[in-house]
Amino acid sequence: MKLSLAELGPALALLVACAFFATQSDRFLTGDNLSLVLQQVMVVGVIAIGQTLIVLTAGVDLSCGMVMALGGIVMTKLAAELGVPAPIALASGVAVTGLFGAVNGLLVTSIKLPPFIVTLGTLNIAFAITQLYSDSQTVTEVPESLLALGQTFTVGGTTVVYGVLVMLLLYLIAWFILRETAAGRHVYAVGNNPDATRLTGISTHRLVFGVYVIAGVCYGIAALLSVARTGVGDPNAGQTENLDAITAVVLGGTSLFGGRGNVLGSLVGVLIGGVFRNGLTLMGVSSVYQILVTGVLVILAVTADQLSRRGQGGR
Amino acid sequence: MTAPDRTTSATTPRLVMQAKGLVKRYGQVTALDGTDFELREGEILGVIGDNGAGKSSLIKALSGATVPDAGEIYLDGMRVHFRSPVDARRAGIETVYQELAVAPAMTIAENLFLGRELRRPGMLGQLFRMLDKPRMLRESAQYLAELQIGIGSMSQAVETLSGGQRQGVAVARSAAFAQHVVIMDEPTAALGVKEGTQVLELIRRVRDRGLAVVLISHNMPHVFQIADRIHVARLGKRVALLDPKVVRMSDAVAVMTGAVTAEALAP
Repeated sequence: MKLSLAELGPALALLVACAFFATQSDRFLTGDNLSLVLQQVMVVGVIAIGQTLIVLTAGVDLSCGMVMALGGIVMTKLAAELGVPAPIALASGVAVTGLFGAVNGLLVTSIKLPPFIVTLGTLNIAFAITQLYSDSQTVTEVPESLLALGQTFTVGGTTVVYGVLVMLLLYLIAWFILRETAAGRHVYAVGNNPDATRLTGISTHRLVFGVYVIAGVCYGIAALLSVARTGVGDPNAGQTENLDAITAVVLGGTSLFGGRGNVLGSLVGVLIGGVFRNGLTLMGVSSVYQILVTGVLVILAVTADQLSRRGQGGR
Repeated sequence: MTAPDRTTSATTPRLVMQAKGLVKRYGQVTALDGTDFELREGEILGVIGDNGAGKSSLIKALSGATVPDAGEIYLDGMRVHFRSPVDARRAGIETVYQELAVAPAMTIAENLFLGRELRRPGMLGQLFRMLDKPRMLRESAQYLAELQIGIGSMSQAVETLSGGQRQGVAVARSAAFAQHVVIMDEPTAALGVKEGTQVLELIRRVRDRGLAVVLISHNMPHVFQIADRIHVARLGKRVALLDPKVVRMSDAVAVMTGAVTAEALAP
């Protein structure tokens, strides 16, 4: 498959941003700084994997960050306050986020509700449950075993967090599945033309439902990374990640109309956000400019998508 | 594909598919009012009828998209019960739907193999469920060449093709996986004159490969051009089975609209 502008554009934007910040700050290109960028984006990065899968099916998940926050609270509370062993606490947290994915998926497939509305609802539900269950209190004294992925190792003098490896590994797996397996290609097909896909005998309901569940599991893993990074269970986690994940997916060239794009683009999209935040901070510029730039880039990305679709006569 | 037994066909052509007394009601509306249907092996059967004559309901029943309220469907003489399009597909009936049924952003090879992808041999295929893309590309190219659909690269996205080429891909996909019957619902409706003709020729080649084809169309000249027999639907029934070599187009239209009865046409 040839690389199109939609695939190269985001990478190009990332390279230009890196080159620019390299000229502005000597520290930008150091191993430790780049490692820091990766560490800062690992949570939103893993959320964006699930979000990409959903967007490829022509859906969207507004609840992702809130569901992640709930997962984090569940696993930390079980481990810190009830003394549940870490693996079981972790599994419970992931089960809860997976369950939210299942609820989203069920409502989208069986009752055919628009994903936007469904996940707007579950966003609020997840947020409320998180606040009620945690009593709006941060969960502290989280056992070390739940924080293991926040530990670091050193390679070539650069300190790297284990969680970053988890994120990169998940991207690799998602990329492989989407590109090289039938299930992955069916995700594209259902986003492209759901009726045609169903008529070939593919169970599109099961497929889309599965995508939402897998996305929920991704949010659970993101919750673990978030807990490991901050060391606490934060009921207010995920509030920026919620929209940042969608932003990253769009910046990465995945079409909100479904069926086009790829998951590595989302990694690039996540990195664009991270690099801008980091670079501007190094320059001593308010990080509000990062938000401004991201806003402009999102509109550019969606415009490019829309224009390229129009150029091809749409569907 | 097994070679069809032609020894008896001279006297009584074998019926690939048959339906008796199909009834389908939607609330107060009776879409199928006890219609019969028969399809001979290796023929192109045109299905014509006014809007509301029960064409689409008939096709939906035959392709498993709806379950008839009453009546029987036989495939190769065996009674079948289709509860979904998947059932019909498994039984060897493929349907090309009116809307161009392809995934536009995906490649030709992916569209041809959608839902029936080939996996790599060995561990890569079994454990990692990895697709055998080179083989699918190869087989797609070979197959489209057999059907004389001139498309350069199988790794081209379908949306880069013309409407006729896209329909060609959709028809080719159905024909590739059908064992008995290909049902085509208005395959030329969205196409220009030249492309429509090309698709008609493709349908003829599909029949020549031994498949029975059901062609639903509003385009009378197209039906008369390639159909071996014509099933006329009217008010949820089959009112006539015409031979296009004997019956004129205007007479077929008259039967279709109820201006004359099929019996009146008989010499």
